[in-house]
Amino acid sequence: MFKKILIANRGEIAVRIIRACRELGVSTVAVYSDADRRSLHVALADEAYHIGGSAPGESYLKKENVIDAARKSGAEAVHPGFGFLSENAEFAEMCEKAGIVFIGPTPEAIRLMGDKITARKIAYDAKVPLVPGSEGAVSDVEASVVAGEVGYPLMIKASAGGGGKGMRLVRSKEDFESALRMARSEARSAFGDESVYVERFVEQPRHIEIQLIADSYGNVLHLFERECSIQRRHQKVIEEAPSGFISAKTRKKMGDVAVKIAKAVKYKGAGTIEFIMDQKQNFYFLEMNTRVQVEHPVTEMITGFDIVKWMIRIAAGEKLPFKQGDIKMNGHAVECRVYAEDPGTNFMPSPGTIEYLSTPSGPGIRDDSAIYNGCEITSFYDPMLSKLIVWADTREAAIDKMASALREYIVLGVKTNIGFLRRVMADEEFRQCKIDTGYIERHPELISPGERDLRPALIAAAIAMENSTASGPQSQTAAASSWKLFARRSGIMRSPLA
Amino acid sequence: MTYTFKLNDRIFKITLEESDGQIEVEIDGEKIPVDYKKIEDNLYSIILDGRSVTLGVFKKGKKIQVFLDGDLYDLESISEREQRKSSLAASGVQEIKAPMPSRVVKVLKSEGDEVKRDEGVVVIEAMKMESELKSPIAGKVRNVMAKEGDAIETGTVLMVVASDTPPAE
Repeated sequence: MFKKILIANRGEIAVRIIRACRELGVSTVAVYSDADRRSLHVALADEAYHIGGSAPGESYLKKENVIDAARKSGAEAVHPGFGFLSENAEFAEMCEKAGIVFIGPTPEAIRLMGDKITARKIAYDAKVPLVPGSEGAVSDVEASVVAGEVGYPLMIKASAGGGGKGMRLVRSKEDFESALRMARSEARSAFGDESVYVERFVEQPRHIEIQLIADSYGNVLHLFERECSIQRRHQKVIEEAPSGFISAKTRKKMGDVAVKIAKAVKYKGAGTIEFIMDQKQNFYFLEMNTRVQVEHPVTEMITGFDIVKWMIRIAAGEKLPFKQGDIKMNGHAVECRVYAEDPGTNFMPSPGTIEYLSTPSGPGIRDDSAIYNGCEITSFYDPMLSKLIVWADTREAAIDKMASALREYIVLGVKTNIGFLRRVMADEEFRQCKIDTGYIERHPELISPGERDLRPALIAAAIAMENSTASGPQSQTAAASSWKLFARRSGIMRSPLA
Repeated sequence: MTYTFKLNDRIFKITLEESDGQIEVEIDGEKIPVDYKKIEDNLYSIILDGRSVTLGVFKKGKKIQVFLDGDLYDLESISEREQRKSSLAASGVQEIKAPMPSRVVKVLKSEGDEVKRDEGVVVIEAMKMESELKSPIAGKVRNVMAKEGDAIETGTVLMVVASDTPPAE
């Protein structure tokens, strides 16, 4: 096992990896940008190195700076997490050359699966079903020709893409040109590469993916599926495992196919094969993510398999001691991504300072988070605050548990999607698993709370005003003492709880 | 003490009063007895008609954020003069402002263009995502300040839209 690992990431995933390392007895090295000096991953790691400016391009994406930090710290391996350099073949190569183990697949596997067009070819050769579309990256002129052939609705996707960035759904010919421009511009700024391809859009598709784990000895296992159909802006918001929709037969078919793709590229480490599925359980290969996935915890909850720890063990040369038949799933897990965003303005990010935070706890509740009271949510990075994950014996019970846990989640200072998530948990269609990637668009009524008794909010605001008026200048201590004053005046001090 | 709050574009008047050692609240003319308790600096418990409500409260100057049942409400304490001003603005002239530090990707309208309510007027990019800012009113574009490629701060005015009908004085 390694003695020291550098975590080339930030936020909750960096914290998640630091915890896994610590449990394995490995010391940890954090890297951070200007904006992240006060971030939790820096505080939790054993060592920390500054690697540049706040913009990702000046720090977390600067391969040389990360490698330098690894050299300086004497880390033997680098865990890239997700996003940033996690699917960057060149970075994996640089690690190799510097004698540092990249915790993930080989540069070659990343390159093959990272290029969506090559990945489609590999899947095609492995006889995995594909959605009809362009044979590769297309020019503007070619794109409109292919669009004519494939028909509407269609998707424009960034060749180097992932996480919904550089992706556009186009419903009619009139919108094609502007969507193409937006997709290219997003792709350019997110990946530095504006090539895009075009494919048919499957109506009412469900997003179902298979988690894989493979060692360096040719053993490839799948850890069943996750359903991630609840998305906004083509980004996942709610994920669950197992899917409440597919049959055992489909599950086996998908698992087998996924293993076949992984074997075709001599895959090692954790990876995910994403599929879209129509309402008849026909599934089509979408892409492979050659890294740990944001939603990996739901799989961990139903299998008891620690994916992050196994990524590290496999990179250290350990062999998987399990066979496919040893992997069992138990119960149901749901994950909600808590974002700093305003559902009311098309889920626009809402940066700011966390002025107050209270998080849920209880049996079967896990909060993978890197936020704390007073921490800053900057506009430099993804607005995800935390992942709330619950486990229970059935899907229904897991949804009830999530609904209950969300009631205990309070965030002040930035807008969040917590209220929206609560309404989804209560929605009959979601509860009956009648979901697809168009679910959120189809349910605008869940975006805002609608008509509700606002008196408590007004009363609380008036009390807050009264409190500060009485205190004059708004110093913390003055406010507290004047509260006592006000409380005494209003007689609540008589309560035995006061 | 009486406070006036703007919440969801509506104006509410609320009076807090002490009588017989109880807090009585009057909201828009209706009197309600309230039992409340501060749990932490930012956490209040209110019992109203037997319903126990726990709220997060954060006050910064005249702006108060209240977290109620999963949703964050922005309230603003306003004086009567401000009240008149804000009702004028809603019907007359609207500034399209940057909601966060971002970059202007595209300006979709030019000076003099007609815009519909909720029509996209400026595309901005922040946190690697593009968003369309929409006009809150129907009318004509009066000024365009935004230029493509501009780096903009929260609150930067990007465009001014004037409604078709003159605001009622």
